[in-house]
Amino acid sequence: MFDYPIFDMPLIGHRLLFAFDAIIHVFISHGAAVGGSIVLALAQYFAIKDNDHKFDELAYKILFTFFILATAVGALTGIGIWVHVNIINPAAIGALLRVFFWKWFVEWIVFNIEMVFLLWWFLTWQKYPLGTPGKRFHFKLGATYAISSWFTMAIITAILGFMMTPGNWLKSEFPARPDYLASLFNPSWFPSLGFRTFFSIGWAAAAAMVLTWFFTKEDEALREKAIRFFGKILWVSVPLFLLFGYWYYTQFPQAAKDLFAIGAVTRNLASNPILPWMLNLVLAAIALLGGILLYTNPKKAPLAVAIALMVGCMGLLAEFERVREFVRKPYIIYGYMYANGVRVMDVPVLNRDGFLKRATFVPDELKTVTASNKVVAGRALYEMQCRYCHTINGVNAIKDRVKNWDEKAIYSRIGSLNSSATPFMPPFTGTDAERGALAAYLASLNGPAAHAVQH
Amino acid sequence: MDFKFIPGDIPLPLPTGGLEFLHYIFHGLLVVSWVVHILFINVLLGASLASVYFNKRGARENNPILDRVAYLLTTPVTISENMGALWGVAPLLLISVLYTPLFYSASLMNSPQWLHIIYGNIVAFLCSYLYKYSWNTLRENKGLHITIGTMSVLLFYTLPPVFMATVQLYITPSTWNHGQNFWDALFRADTLFRLAHFYLASFAVSGVFMLLYGYFKRKSSDATDQAAGAILIRTGKAWFIVPTVLNFFIGPLALFHFPNYGLEAFFNHGYHWGILLTVLLALYAIHILVKEFKNDDIPPTKVWKVVIIMVVAIVTMASIRHGMRVALVSPVMAASVAKSEAFQKEAKEAYEAAKQSHLPSTTGPRGRILAEQHGCLGCHGERERVIGPSYAEIAKRAYTPEKILALVRQPVPSNWPEYAQAPMPPMATVPEAELREIANWINGIK
Ligand code: HEC
Ligand code: HEC
Repeated sequence: MFDYPIFDMPLIGHRLLFAFDAIIHVFISHGAAVGGSIVLALAQYFAIKDNDHKFDELAYKILFTFFILATAVGALTGIGIWVHVNIINPAAIGALLRVFFWKWFVEWIVFNIEMVFLLWWFLTWQKYPLGTPGKRFHFKLGATYAISSWFTMAIITAILGFMMTPGNWLKSEFPARPDYLASLFNPSWFPSLGFRTFFSIGWAAAAAMVLTWFFTKEDEALREKAIRFFGKILWVSVPLFLLFGYWYYTQFPQAAKDLFAIGAVTRNLASNPILPWMLNLVLAAIALLGGILLYTNPKKAPLAVAIALMVGCMGLLAEFERVREFVRKPYIIYGYMYANGVRVMDVPVLNRDGFLKRATFVPDELKTVTASNKVVAGRALYEMQCRYCHTINGVNAIKDRVKNWDEKAIYSRIGSLNSSATPFMPPFTGTDAERGALAAYLASLNGPAAHAVQH
Repeated sequence: MDFKFIPGDIPLPLPTGGLEFLHYIFHGLLVVSWVVHILFINVLLGASLASVYFNKRGARENNPILDRVAYLLTTPVTISENMGALWGVAPLLLISVLYTPLFYSASLMNSPQWLHIIYGNIVAFLCSYLYKYSWNTLRENKGLHITIGTMSVLLFYTLPPVFMATVQLYITPSTWNHGQNFWDALFRADTLFRLAHFYLASFAVSGVFMLLYGYFKRKSSDATDQAAGAILIRTGKAWFIVPTVLNFFIGPLALFHFPNYGLEAFFNHGYHWGILLTVLLALYAIHILVKEFKNDDIPPTKVWKVVIIMVVAIVTMASIRHGMRVALVSPVMAASVAKSEAFQKEAKEAYEAAKQSHLPSTTGPRGRILAEQHGCLGCHGERERVIGPSYAEIAKRAYTPEKILALVRQPVPSNWPEYAQAPMPPMATVPEAELREIANWINGIK
């Protein structure tokens, strides 16, 4: 982060807001757009085949819900992910853009096709009633929408896969030269794509079951038919995404696998090896139980069952994203760049010459640590290297992390941040004087001078 | 020109694969995609406002034709909000890759307000959908309906200031200061004049759009649509003429507030001729529309003439705008690339030196070296207490290596009540063999 100014979100930390945006995007893009388009195009296909007007109408109602969510919330939170990352970690997104520019550009073109066909499919649904020859043409609009929305997911998945398992992507280190093909065909692309595809289909089918519950209160026959239809899609996708999920897992670096337990719960809870499994099994059980009860008894299933299915799926999806983000630590691009934007290859020079010296937006008087500017310089270091994951006194508060330690102990501890006790943290980067400055600042947070520095 | 801040460029090549001509393609794509984006946004701003205006008048005068005009205008709103956002992504992508350090620095300085382009936009979208899809449900409750519409319009109108403040800030890095923030960037003469120019241009473009939309509705077989078409045509003409004339005055004010070095380059490149061309084109379009001002059945050739003239004028303006941007950012970007290259040179040196001297920083017994590598020494001094007890202290308890192994995997903080405030975290990943060596070393400390 030494090339950029700092924006520090107090208390909640920017990462939490980002996570909020990202998880909403994942719920909607996977459910309403990618999975939703596939599931609803299938539903329309069978409605045409059976000439079932009620089923066709139900599919339209579900599409209406998905449409509003996908366009107003899904697409914008998708752009939001980008905007958030450019605030949190400009160095990382800048690097990804340079490596993946053309893939992103192609994705954008396909995104256009997706949007045009979605608008076309949705806005003309009633223009082509069932039984007219135009309806078959109309189905093709939906099918095109489904294919293009899957394609956009495929490209984004490549970028996410790259961040975790970049493979042999650097042809030369200085100057850094990417191998564009190797970056694209990184080891976890296909397995993660398969995983996400079938999870999306299953999740969309589950969401369609829940919406059916709401939309068919007056028509039990339709309810039974529709819930069984979407239910079958759900049951087919579950074993498939589990299979791909396992393949995906095998591609993770060992250090990432080691972090699974902590990623799944928290560091304290993870000391009990059963808990991480329990959490996920409980979520899966809630989802499955809801799904099975709704499927076997669609006419009588109470609302609680539908909600259980929904909540279970959302919980699993959120948990998956959380774990995936966590186990990549301490990196943002595995092996190339730490989560706080420092490139691994730049660490030696920063340790030799100093971090503050390179920081574009740090005032000149802080570039060399002195006895009088120590604490303020330490704060600048905290903002550039630690703020990415910590807040001062909110979420993952640094103030609490160092509560009982004196300056000497803090100094000692930050010399080995990236070690077995906390392998998810990047190392502190900078000279010995800078390490002292950071320790002085962190000590001041709980010390008598605390109020003076925290402004 | 002196720049206080020069952030270094991303140390990866631009994605041209060594093909120089791709640079031109980047710039061409940037201009074209930006024009499409901004035309959608212009129509979004104009049509959403006009819809609420006619809705209100229709309700007050109890006039179903005005109500139809208002409803007809929601279709371009739905399309342009979606397509506008979508086509905004392409310029964002291109700018982020061409001017990464400047654009991202400006977005950071303008945060958290910069996030409004996401969250404000989502709420605006939802309000505008609610407005459109509750048209019949709320027919008897126009007050509420118009309130919802007004909310979405107000929200849409809060987005351009956020964009403008960020765009203006990133293309004028000579104005950056320590503690730079969003409100400073917004309440600057250059930003405000550009913003005024943009809002006026949005009305003018929406005017041309309504002219065209009305022209198609005139051809409809439905009598209400035909009458609505006439109103759209009339409104379109006025919306085009008045803001365009105002912009003849606001435009120069916006231009002359740019930093001097940008203006110099602007005139040296002859971009002012482009402005002259645009003004002449706009005057010609005004001339056509003034002559047909009273005619609801304006001939199609004239409608298309105005549309084409304005497309040419807008593309010209967009190219000039891009020229100004290049003039302003090129010197900084050149310095930024040079800075990054110089840094990489030093980084390489230090990196290779570090590779050469691959020795761990500690010397001494292997157990100690391993303890250092695994971060144990961050918390335990050999003889002094740090965050945990000293190893000399621990050695006194005479644990077997197995016991130490178990305690590292699953600490028991109650063994050391004094340290319970910050207990040792469990460490599952230290290999067993290495942990044994560490344990033996600990036990050897006297
Ligand atoms: C990649 C994210 C990340 C970054 C960057 C990061 N930390 Fe942490 N840090 C964490 C997490 C996660 C924890 C563990 C919180 C918990 O115990 O649940 C932690 C814990 C800590 C602790 C307590 C460690 C212990 O032994 O209990 C300290 C001290 C700390 N961080 C300091 C820092 C400092 C100083 C920096 C900047 C140089 C920094 N961190 C940067 C993620 C990070
Ligand atoms: C984050 C700081 C920290 C790190 C890193 C750390 N320890 Fe500890 N250690 C402690 C604290 C605090 C205690 C006091 C007892 C407790 O909290 O469990 C302790 C206690 C111990 C004990 C005595 C346990 C008992 O119950 O009597 C041993 C042995 C030990 N540490 C070994 C290690 C080894 C080996 C490593 C490196 C692999 C290590 N420690 C890394 C903080 C740390």
